[in-house]
Amino acid sequence: MPEEAITTKALTKSFGRFTAVDGLNVGVGRGELFGLLGPNGAGKTTTVRMLCTLLEPTRGTANVVGFDIRDQAAEVRRHIGVVSDGVSLYRDLTIEENLRLFSTLYDIPRPKAEARIKELLDMFAFREKSKRLVSALSTGWAKKAMICAALLHSPEVLYLDEVTSGLDPQSAIALQDFTKKLCEEGVTVIWTTHYMGEPEKICDRVGIMFAGRLVQVGTPNELKHSVSELSMVEVETPDLSKAQLDKVKTKLHAMNIVCKVKYADSKLQISCERTETLAEDVASALLEVGAKIRTINTKDPTLEEAFIALTGGEEEIDRFLEGAERKA
Amino acid sequence: MSSVKFLADSIAVARNELLQFRRNRSAILISLIVLPLFFTVSLGAGQGGAGTSFSPTADIPIAFVDNDNTIASMHLLQMLTSSPDFHNLIQSSNEQASIAELGTKRIYAVIVVPKGFQNDLAAGHQAEITLYTDDSEPGVSDQIMSTLTTYVQNFDPNAEVQPLLSQLQRQSVAGVGIVRKGAVFAGFNIGLTVVLAVVQIFAGFYEIAGGMSREREEGTYARLLVTPVPTVSIVLGKTIFDTLLSIIRTFIVLGISIYGYGAKPNTDFFTLLALSLIVAFVTMGLGFVASALKLGQRAVVIIEFFLILFLFAFSGLIIDNELLVGVSQLIGKALPFTYAFDALRRTVLLGRPLLSLTSDLEYLIGSTVVFYAAAFVLLRISRERLIT
Repeated sequence: MPEEAITTKALTKSFGRFTAVDGLNVGVGRGELFGLLGPNGAGKTTTVRMLCTLLEPTRGTANVVGFDIRDQAAEVRRHIGVVSDGVSLYRDLTIEENLRLFSTLYDIPRPKAEARIKELLDMFAFREKSKRLVSALSTGWAKKAMICAALLHSPEVLYLDEVTSGLDPQSAIALQDFTKKLCEEGVTVIWTTHYMGEPEKICDRVGIMFAGRLVQVGTPNELKHSVSELSMVEVETPDLSKAQLDKVKTKLHAMNIVCKVKYADSKLQISCERTETLAEDVASALLEVGAKIRTINTKDPTLEEAFIALTGGEEEIDRFLEGAERKA
Repeated sequence: MSSVKFLADSIAVARNELLQFRRNRSAILISLIVLPLFFTVSLGAGQGGAGTSFSPTADIPIAFVDNDNTIASMHLLQMLTSSPDFHNLIQSSNEQASIAELGTKRIYAVIVVPKGFQNDLAAGHQAEITLYTDDSEPGVSDQIMSTLTTYVQNFDPNAEVQPLLSQLQRQSVAGVGIVRKGAVFAGFNIGLTVVLAVVQIFAGFYEIAGGMSREREEGTYARLLVTPVPTVSIVLGKTIFDTLLSIIRTFIVLGISIYGYGAKPNTDFFTLLALSLIVAFVTMGLGFVASALKLGQRAVVIIEFFLILFLFAFSGLIIDNELLVGVSQLIGKALPFTYAFDALRRTVLLGRPLLSLTSDLEYLIGSTVVFYAAAFVLLRISRERLIT
């Protein structure tokens, strides 16, 4: 068994002269929750569609749970679950009927399938709605039904493509929590989204995609820190005199920390070169000059800021989105 | 609702339809270009165009049995063979053997001049000739009867037989009449052959092509493709389902035709069911081919109408294939549905055993195999196009 659930090598997909995914190299570990982050048209869905064998790569290879997506497509399909907008359930069947149909298609023995269907319906609180037609479900419930169908055969890899779009915040949070639990149970999840906040909250690692290329891969912290060497410490310290403030500045300089210090409304904001002990150093400098400390917080750059920096800035993103719209 | 509001809503709906249609290139191509152009050109060619003459019976093989062998009967034969309408008269001396050839497509009618034909003329009585026709080809039979009647009416015994009459010292003669002989079908036998085929073709095509198109548009086809199920199973599964529907349809059509309209097919139920299913399989194969072309549901409906026109114009449903000429006859001969109608007529009307219709069966089964093979290959090739 390979350690990585998914490995891609120079994975490329072109539609005519347009290259949707360009030389993707990435490895995703077993049980990892891997986020693919990027704007619409960045190549996330095309990547997922290649990895779930719906699209054949133009160049390059990919391996999913030990099977080649090109040569062992049927085996790949046995081990994956997909939730994506273009991959739907039968609207004129009930949820149960859909699940029974797919349990047959996945060769799940009848008693095991019935038990699994019951388990999933309970897990998603579907018991009362299980006899409803899919067409009669709200967006949120329909999405849950799709997740049930994707999990029916207990896949090793689950692709969740823009799965929270159209969901209310509570459902989105519930789904994020559920996905984390799945990963703890050993399921590898590829979570694609264009919502910048999502991967930061839930993903073990994030790949930033832009214009078909994987720009950067790392943990959310690594990504954020890769684009900014600055951290900010905010200290609530009432009645800090100018003399105390000057002494603090001198002490920080003496520690070789290049700082920008601002004091207003009892709040001292210190933007500094990032160090492991920044908060402690600031606190000790303040205490040494006799300042009172009520609260102390550090603030890192957001993933959104990292994304913008990694993809060439807001102007570059705007240009790309305009181009993507024209292509659409 | 005020009339203004009603009108505004109607215009809005119409505008929406127009906008959708504008974005559907295949619908535009089929409905505005292919359909009008193709049918105008092919039917125009079929009719021979202005200024050209065409005899529908000219090349149809017809046996001529002369049991009289007299000057009068020979004159009649000579008049027919020298006409532009009977180029393919085959002289025969065996009346029964010629009649037995009817329904085989080797002979479409047998004209029999009975013994005493000349004597009747000479005696001043109306002489009669007998026309046996292939009643599985009602259009052809009617056309032969109609053309022959014209010639027989123009056959002037006074002029043709006068020298002979002088010898026999007879002064006046009567005309020649035609007795048409053939099977008399129960009221709805011909209707049954048409309905059975048409129902299977229209329903089968829409169920397969329309169903696949709906699956593609709603994303359920992609859902099937991410399961381990191979394409061939998807095709087979849909075929099995539609076969069940086709069997039910056969029962319904036969039930209504026999008990409601008094049809009395000259064949057994299993032959009818087998033929009905063969027609359904050909159609399903065609439906799968169409579905691999990424047609939208709107385009499927348009093609369905296309199919109706094909059936009515070229497949022998209204005009027997033998009466078509040029391009239209070629199209008719290429369409598997022509052979389906033919096989149905020969079994239902003439009672021919199914296995004796070798050429029809070969073409129908061959077409089914070709359509399914093409559909399978196309569905695999266009897998990506169908989900993007």
